Amino acid sequence: MRRLPVYLLLDTSGSMNGAPIEAVKNGVQVMLNSLRQNPQAIETAWLSVITFDSTARQLVPLTDLSSFQMPSITASGTTAFGQALRLVASCIDREVALTTAEQKGDWKPLVFIMTDGVPTDDWNTALPEFQKRKTAFTVACAAGNGADSAVLKQVTPNVVRLDTVDTNSIGQFFTWVSASIGVSSTRIEDTGKEVTGLDELPPPPAELNIVV
Amino acid sequence: MNATQQYLEQLFANGNLPVTEARNKLLQQFCQDEVNSKAVTEILTYQNMLMDKWQLFNRITTIQEQPFTIPNATAGKPYEAVIDRDQQGWVDMEVIELNGLEDTGLQYDAETGSITGTPTAHGDRKLVLRYRLQQEPEEAEPHEKSIPLVINPNPRLLWKNLGSDATDLYWKEDDIAFTAPLGGKLLVAASKRGRSHANTGGFRDDDIAYGHFGQTGWSVIAVADGAGSAPLARQGAKLAVNAVVNYFTPALTGDGLPELELLLQEYNHGTGADTQKKLNQQIYTHLGKAALYAHKQLEAFAHTKEVALKDLHSTLLFVLLKQFAFGYAVLSFSVGDGVIGLVNTDQTAAMLMNRLDVGEFGGGTRFITMPEIFKNELFYTRFGCKVVDDFSHLFLMTDGIFDPKFVTEAALEKPEKWQELIRDLAGENEDGKKVELSPDNTQVAEELSAWMDFWSAGNHDDRTLAIVF
Repeated sequence: MRRLPVYLLLDTSGSMNGAPIEAVKNGVQVMLNSLRQNPQAIETAWLSVITFDSTARQLVPLTDLSSFQMPSITASGTTAFGQALRLVASCIDREVALTTAEQKGDWKPLVFIMTDGVPTDDWNTALPEFQKRKTAFTVACAAGNGADSAVLKQVTPNVVRLDTVDTNSIGQFFTWVSASIGVSSTRIEDTGKEVTGLDELPPPPAELNIVV
Repeated sequence: MNATQQYLEQLFANGNLPVTEARNKLLQQFCQDEVNSKAVTEILTYQNMLMDKWQLFNRITTIQEQPFTIPNATAGKPYEAVIDRDQQGWVDMEVIELNGLEDTGLQYDAETGSITGTPTAHGDRKLVLRYRLQQEPEEAEPHEKSIPLVINPNPRLLWKNLGSDATDLYWKEDDIAFTAPLGGKLLVAASKRGRSHANTGGFRDDDIAYGHFGQTGWSVIAVADGAGSAPLARQGAKLAVNAVVNYFTPALTGDGLPELELLLQEYNHGTGADTQKKLNQQIYTHLGKAALYAHKQLEAFAHTKEVALKDLHSTLLFVLLKQFAFGYAVLSFSVGDGVIGLVNTDQTAAMLMNRLDVGEFGGGTRFITMPEIFKNELFYTRFGCKVVDDFSHLFLMTDGIFDPKFVTEAALEKPEKWQELIRDLAGENEDGKKVELSPDNTQVAEELSAWMDFWSAGNHDDRTLAIVF
């Protein structure tokens, strides 16, 4: 069974405290509920949550959608974005099965990053580590004015921006993430091919501006 | 020294009024005063009460704050979880009841603390564990701890089965199944729309066609799989398989393929000069021309209908089969990721007759619609030829069967995987669905069609399987 690994990298630094972090938790929950209604997603998508503040942690290892349980998330500290990139790279190495002559490996992972701030660590040296891993696509979301889309642009060409960090726009982002996972899982089952870019995903909602 | 005296001594000392040794006797007298001793008893009672209350309050809050989750359930799948009080350190807990399981199909057993059953409904539930602590009186109001329970929908029931649009110009039946006598052998085949297409009311992109020509004894079977990303793939697959059968029809209803037949005979007897080379040439000519004819038909269709040729992308595999006095000759051609396999009489050996064009390397999968395949230096590797005394099964399948049943190409080289498939067809599967491959079985096509509904997570592509036995 070829899995579609999905990594969520969530900024849980101090600035996310309060309404934004609640909106993120709510967004992930809504996303789970929606994906669990999608027969292709529930069979193929596996989800992992990585959070980053003063350090990066994998809160939930790659888990199938039906067993996935929402972790408790709190926000405090700085923005160790570089650590998060390094961590997701090592998680991909450890958790995503490669295709060999004897086994069909997993599909290439999807990575969704959400941050509202500027990295406070040495993220430049972590970037090549992350880029060595093959992902189907990485989407980075710059939430609010504090986020630096120029940094994210170096991580992935697929950068979207939320003008405000409120419940509604964060909710819209996760609705779109879940639609994107749905499209990817349908496509691989239907055509045996992976989605490779933003243009193949469902159109993002009005709240989400695509940064070019 | 009694308790009252001890308490007062401590109290006075704390209040900076230490009782000296000389005043000990006086303190004894003080304690004997009934009012004083009663006051001390009352104070001590209140103190103990406060301590007990605080301890209880603290304990309950600890239990309430303790994160506790149980695994997610799935509708239709047996479930078991235990609320293990010992493991949680809730040894002082007396469970009164667990609420919230109503209408879920799950039951709570207070004795063992287990939740068991097969969920009949799905959704997010909030279970409420009502409990009392052992140190509390029976009339005390129970405490409530909420435990979230996720019951996933049954994934199999999430798939919709929407009919395809029968008014569409290129509509085809969602599912077909048939049998056909091929001389001494029988063909049983089915081609079915996959769940991923049924879920959206899409069309079957796979197709199959055959011809048996009694005059010359030859049979042709062609199978194709339209590319999921090509909008008219269903038509491409249909045109491709029909083109192959049509191409061979005039020759095989006329004189047959005399030169090829003679060479097959010589090849089998080991006579003639350069037989192998000449035979290769003949196979290359006849089957190669049939493939090119299919390509040209698709090209002409695309031109007439003013659509892009790539919109008709389809794989194509076909075999030519004939029984001779010396045995059977099986000739094959393939482009794409379909599979042709020949299993020997005692089922100890299987021969993969084609090279698969597989997506991830070698520049991606190939389709009969691609002109470059005919110019490629490896074009000759698309042909196969086998002369055998007899065989037990000849299989042609699309990736909808290959992916779930073999998974990797390496598995196609293993006779045990083919034996597994044969046993699977004979009923060794989780649904106990059986295809009795016998010439007397008039239901064999229906049985094969039913067998092909097997469940394989993540594998819901169109499925086509042709078996000659």
